[in-house]
Amino acid sequence: MASEININDLQLKYLELETLLDITNELNTFDQVSDLLHEILEKSCAVLNASSGLILIEENNSDIFEIGAHFNIDISVLKGLIFNKRKGLIHDITQTGKASTLKIEQDSLLSKTLCRYALMAPLSEKKNLVGLIILFDKESRSGISPFQDADTNMLSAIASQASVAYNNIKLLENIKEAKTFNDNVMQSIVTGVFTTNLMGEINHINRAATTIINLEKEQILGNHYEYIFQFNDSVTHLISKCENDSVTLSESQVILDCNGKLTTVNISVSPLLNDLNEPIGSVVAMEDLSNIDKLKSTFKKYISKQIVDQLLENEDMQNLGGQEQEVTILFSDIRGFTSMSETMAPNEVVDTLNEYFNLMIEIIFKYNGTLDKIIGDALMVIYGAPNSTEKDTENAVLTAIEMQEKLIEFNQRRIINSLLPITIGVGINRGKVISGNIGSRQQMNFTVIGDSVNLASRLCSAAKAGEIIVSETVWGNIKSNKLLKSRKLIPIKVKGKSLPIKIREIAYPKSYFNYGVFYRMIEEYLVQRLPKDFTYHTIHHIRDVVKQSERIGKKEKLSKDDIADLKLAAWLHDVGYIWEPNRHEVRGAAYAKSILSALNFPASKIGRITDMILATKIPQSPKNILEQVLCDADLDYLGRKDYYDNSLLLLKELRLNKEISDSEWLKLQDSFLSKHSYFTKTSNSTRNKFKAQVLGSIKQSLKI
Amino acid sequence: MSDFITSVKENNSIVIIETNGYLNNVGGEAVSAVVYEKIAQGQSKFLINMAGTKIVNSIGVSILIEVIEKLQEVNGKIGYYNLAPIVSKTFNIMGLTKYSSVFETEEAAVNGL
Repeated sequence: MASEININDLQLKYLELETLLDITNELNTFDQVSDLLHEILEKSCAVLNASSGLILIEENNSDIFEIGAHFNIDISVLKGLIFNKRKGLIHDITQTGKASTLKIEQDSLLSKTLCRYALMAPLSEKKNLVGLIILFDKESRSGISPFQDADTNMLSAIASQASVAYNNIKLLENIKEAKTFNDNVMQSIVTGVFTTNLMGEINHINRAATTIINLEKEQILGNHYEYIFQFNDSVTHLISKCENDSVTLSESQVILDCNGKLTTVNISVSPLLNDLNEPIGSVVAMEDLSNIDKLKSTFKKYISKQIVDQLLENEDMQNLGGQEQEVTILFSDIRGFTSMSETMAPNEVVDTLNEYFNLMIEIIFKYNGTLDKIIGDALMVIYGAPNSTEKDTENAVLTAIEMQEKLIEFNQRRIINSLLPITIGVGINRGKVISGNIGSRQQMNFTVIGDSVNLASRLCSAAKAGEIIVSETVWGNIKSNKLLKSRKLIPIKVKGKSLPIKIREIAYPKSYFNYGVFYRMIEEYLVQRLPKDFTYHTIHHIRDVVKQSERIGKKEKLSKDDIADLKLAAWLHDVGYIWEPNRHEVRGAAYAKSILSALNFPASKIGRITDMILATKIPQSPKNILEQVLCDADLDYLGRKDYYDNSLLLLKELRLNKEISDSEWLKLQDSFLSKHSYFTKTSNSTRNKFKAQVLGSIKQSLKI
Repeated sequence: MSDFITSVKENNSIVIIETNGYLNNVGGEAVSAVVYEKIAQGQSKFLINMAGTKIVNSIGVSILIEVIEKLQEVNGKIGYYNLAPIVSKTFNIMGLTKYSSVFETEEAAVNGL
């Protein structure tokens, strides 16, 4: 009886072919990698009579392979094992790229499975190994047996099909991921974006664009742009022109009429091109100016960021109309600017004002002021509107102080650049005003009006250059801050007020000379202005003289004040090269006198600075220790190892105006070094030795 | 009872064996052990509910053929129901269905065996 029922080889081959066909047909139906891998593994095990199996898959292009699928195997025994591409069986398969059999005892990792034989085939992407199918223990009625060559071929065939399917799914996943990413980006940007195809039909649109167009996405997609924008000729014209001319076009402040909703947008249209640079439609971007961005762009020039944020949180504040409230008003005005500007070129006037306003407005915003107006060279700033805080008046006064202080630094730079300094007067008042957005719907300005505003303006007019005049109301509001000081002034009579107004002047450190700031600014000035073709009298030489002056001055036990003045003279000792190299000491001293006086440098000390500069004229003629130190610092390099480098730079510079042969140069150096002596003990003790060596070598060269 | 056999019950003098997992050497041996034991107890009609078996190899099928041969000796019968398409296809190709019956449901199997 038993002989009647036999499974013959033909049936098995038939089963193998059918399985392979099934796999081929089914593989492309999967859209999840995990489903695909399980299907491949189960069918491979079944058709090849494997008792179990697993698929290892490369994780994110790393060298480590993870278990992507397993069948009929206890994978807990494999937990914690690392399947490294560079070691063991995966490495071997990577090398050959072919299916192979394995006796498990040869592989320490797989021995944990307690199986005896394995059949492995690679899953590849092009020539790269991306996975591995491993089948374990071929079953037979007599027990477990090794896999045969025919099994290897079969698994190879399955793995080839599986590789294609696996790579397709991965590709699809990547495309989906990229599409999702693009969609998310498109949807999240606040600019409305849509694209049209060659037929002019809208084929992609983001959320912001649907909001602007005021239709549902489904109502827009597939429709021609001329239909969607039928009441907006400027848009259709732009897109049409872009289609015809293949150029990017844009238009600002376009008022769109979309289904009863008016929206102001900035619009730009660009040709959409394919890989071959051929037009395939247009991409249209619409920036909605009626939303937050408009508010920000409008207000950011006038109001500090914090106030913009507060305005955005409270939409009611953007409405026309006004309210009575107490605010602090600051006026500032440049003193004598009209007459000053008469001596300046028009562009110089504009540059000066822009530079000045940039500096001042930065301070105003720092203290949360709202820049109400710029009237010529005057500024009107409000504190406490649109939003008020307890610190409004204090902020106004701190603004005024910082404006005056920053102006000192601003003027130092101007004076150093031989420009006239700017001085301002500031007036501050606090009182009730009417505040609000005043104007028409097309153009409105946030401002304040009222008597208190007028008084602030009058106080500003009363303030002399450098003064900050405040009303008693202001002082009463801030006097609890013990850091702020003021002094009473004689009450002033102002237009429209019957009684004199009590006023105070806010105190701040008005005139001081800041050495550090001066050093920094004169260095900037020298960098910009020293002749560029000079090779020795450069900023490097001047920095070296400053450094050596400080070093020698300290060794000579000079006081800190003396060293500060010494460094100041060092910075200025060669400034005359800017105008007159041959008389640079005289020109430098004159310049120093002029700017130091303008910078409130103590008049009693200006003479010592100019004398120091003049003392450096060759032959040097120092009359006191400060002058001696500067003279030695100026020629410090004569006794240093960088003498030869410096002398070459000097020679190059001298040759700009005069031909000097090498032998003449040797003679000049010989003569100069022979006559030169250091004045200070410090230089004599530290520089003479090397200077003598230099002189010796020059004399030697002259003999040859 | 092995993991492969999840239950053995009787319905109308028919032994119904419920399986789960891979019908391979191990699974096949588990089925044959139950069948041989029941034959020894005088049973001759068997049904296998293969709802939990989605994959089968030729060794598992070989063992089922051995079981069929054994049943032929005692004039017994075996049938299967709840087969996955791939299992059904394999049974067809391997000739199993010539000597045993495949049913859609338990009810059809009990009535039709």
